[in-house]
Amino acid sequence: MDAMAHTDQISMSQSETLTEASDNKIAARSVDVFYGKNHAIKNVDVDIDDKTVTAFIGPSGCGKSTFLRCLNRMNDTIDIARVEGDILLDGEDIYDKRVDPVQLRARVGMVFQKPNPFPKSIYDNVAYGPRIHGLTRNKSELDDIVEASLRRAALWDEAKDRLKESGTGMSGGQQQRLCIARAVATQPEVLLMDEPCSALDPIATAQIEELIDELRQNFCVVIVTHSMQQAARVSQKTAFFHLGEMVEYGDTEKIFNSPEDKRTESYITGRIG
Amino acid sequence: MSFGTLFLAVIAIAAVAFALSRRKVLGLAQGDRRRLHSLPHYHGMHAMLLAAVPALLLLFGWTVLQPVVVDRVAVSHFSGEKYDTSGERSLAMSEVRRVAESIDALVRGGKLGTSELETLSDEDLGRELDDTGIPVLSDLPPQIIDSARIYRSVSATGDLIKLGLVLLLALAGAAYGYSAAHPDLRARNRTEMGVRGLLVAAACVAIFTTFGIVLSLLFNTIEFFRIYPAGEFFFSLTWSPSFGGGSELGIIPLLWGTLYISLIALLVAVPLGLFSAIYLAEYAHPKFRSAAKPLLEVLTGIPTIVYGLFALLIVGPALSSVFGRGGMGWMPSDTAVITAGLVMGIMLIPFVSSLSDDVINAVPQAMRDGSYGLGATKSETVRKVIVPAALPGIVGAILLAASRAIGETMIVVLGAGAAARMSLNPFEAMTTVTAKIVSQLTGDADFASPEALVAFALGMTLFIVTLGLNIVALAIVRRYREQYE
Repeated sequence: MDAMAHTDQISMSQSETLTEASDNKIAARSVDVFYGKNHAIKNVDVDIDDKTVTAFIGPSGCGKSTFLRCLNRMNDTIDIARVEGDILLDGEDIYDKRVDPVQLRARVGMVFQKPNPFPKSIYDNVAYGPRIHGLTRNKSELDDIVEASLRRAALWDEAKDRLKESGTGMSGGQQQRLCIARAVATQPEVLLMDEPCSALDPIATAQIEELIDELRQNFCVVIVTHSMQQAARVSQKTAFFHLGEMVEYGDTEKIFNSPEDKRTESYITGRIG
Repeated sequence: MSFGTLFLAVIAIAAVAFALSRRKVLGLAQGDRRRLHSLPHYHGMHAMLLAAVPALLLLFGWTVLQPVVVDRVAVSHFSGEKYDTSGERSLAMSEVRRVAESIDALVRGGKLGTSELETLSDEDLGRELDDTGIPVLSDLPPQIIDSARIYRSVSATGDLIKLGLVLLLALAGAAYGYSAAHPDLRARNRTEMGVRGLLVAAACVAIFTTFGIVLSLLFNTIEFFRIYPAGEFFFSLTWSPSFGGGSELGIIPLLWGTLYISLIALLVAVPLGLFSAIYLAEYAHPKFRSAAKPLLEVLTGIPTIVYGLFALLIVGPALSSVFGRGGMGWMPSDTAVITAGLVMGIMLIPFVSSLSDDVINAVPQAMRDGSYGLGATKSETVRKVIVPAALPGIVGAILLAASRAIGETMIVVLGAGAAARMSLNPFEAMTTVTAKIVSQLTGDADFASPEALVAFALGMTLFIVTLGLNIVALAIVRRYREQYE
């Protein structure tokens, strides 16, 4: 009931800005992030739709990764980071004291820049999340989750005969898909991807991009990328960050074809960044 | 000229060569060091190395080899059945050396002129030596005195030749270095070669010394097995050396004591060390960590004899008051396996924690992020990701600690007692291989007896055990390193 009241209050107070509130998976309101004295994110407002790929683009150091890490409170693990403002997931403030960041991260999965499989078997990598969250009743259910997750990550055919082998022995692209399978296995609602292809070759990148498009059917995907072409290829919505501010946010097509802000246009045409 | 003076003389020649060559090239380049191939001090160094290195090598080599050659010459003057065996000969040789030294003392004291010495008959010389009160055999066989004279004269000649050759070589090197000094000389590259040679030599000394230690252990062990059956040494369950002979020297009770005490030490050190490492690496605030880690490492700086005192005076009596006669009645005396094991465990904590802390820190941050990103808590991350990833390194750390425990002596000598016993009761006194090596060699046994030589066999066994552990540990640690680089 409390949470419901909270949600109502917020949607009431911000009804003007929240269009189609029911579609918004994540809503950020005047978010500021500080690393010590460094003001890394300045007053960012953004609404992220469910079942959509949203891309964050911008030059290095513009704060897009920092903002992404706010969405599952990964910044909590950094001592000097401080987050202000509200970030709502399904209308619920994730920085509320009652929210357990550990539970939150099970709902908001994350894939990192460099593939980081655990030095365990492929099976154990994927089963890691379901095991710690107790998502299964028995071994056969766990087997099913592992298989479904690997299938979703388009890795099942390559991995099904070597589930007992170490995940670190795979190629870079396979490792990254394994990490996606691992994130998918906890059955999150949102999938955050922090430059997931920057350590991969073009073929592996193409595979991951294809995969991201498929993941859109089940998840809300937020991807940080350095590559504007990638943003154009995979996303439906794009947010452009510059020097800690979110300059422009809208449909990907519009951002790339008729940006409103001068800075966005300069970045897209390659004059800054 | 003594060794030290000669050494200093060579150094002085080299220093002069340095200064002169440096000045020469600067002069040739009209003081403009841009015209030189190498910086001036490289030219100086080049001449210095040429002067010093060959001369010093000759000096060291000659000094080591001369006594061997002189001995051989002097020994060749013995004859007759009396000096047939090598033992007899070496006994006579030490007598010769003593007589020669005594004559030296006489000459140095001014009681005997050099010319007098030449004319003095053997009998008179013997009497003269007796008068000085220097302990020499009263009825010196003429062969000994004869040999002593030869010994002295050969040594003197050798010293003279050494002096000449070394100085000559130093001067020749200096002269060549000086004459070669030229602005175009690639002195920098040549000096580099010299430096490389120096480093190789240093490495060789370390390696050959280790080799020498192992060989001496090996030969003495073989000597021991010649007079004592190896089967009994390895399989007998009794250790009761008696210096009168007829001792039983079975290693098993000692090995048992060693392993038992090490086991208890590891049972203390591994959990405490590992947990503190995990706390320091994962939970502690960086400021706390940077203060606490050095503090923990201070424990490694405490001499083991201090730990031994701690065991003897504090831990032993404390345990005894609980488990001893006043309490449970299990512990007959203060010294026991448990006393030594506990104290040794405390000694090992920093070994385990410091190395484990390093390997835990070497686990990439990406692993932690990956685990936290999936909603794992800190302890789940530690248990399921970090410790398994760091496990090879942690095992390496534990094995290194184990080989320390096995080789530890002072804590055992003071804390564990001296009785070689095989028992499962940790409150009994037992002893270890190392403690027995000490007691076998500190007695006044004949050095050739099995009771003394057994120390070498014990040392060799211990060496092989710890070497094996170290090799396994290093192999594990190395494999671990490859994983993340």
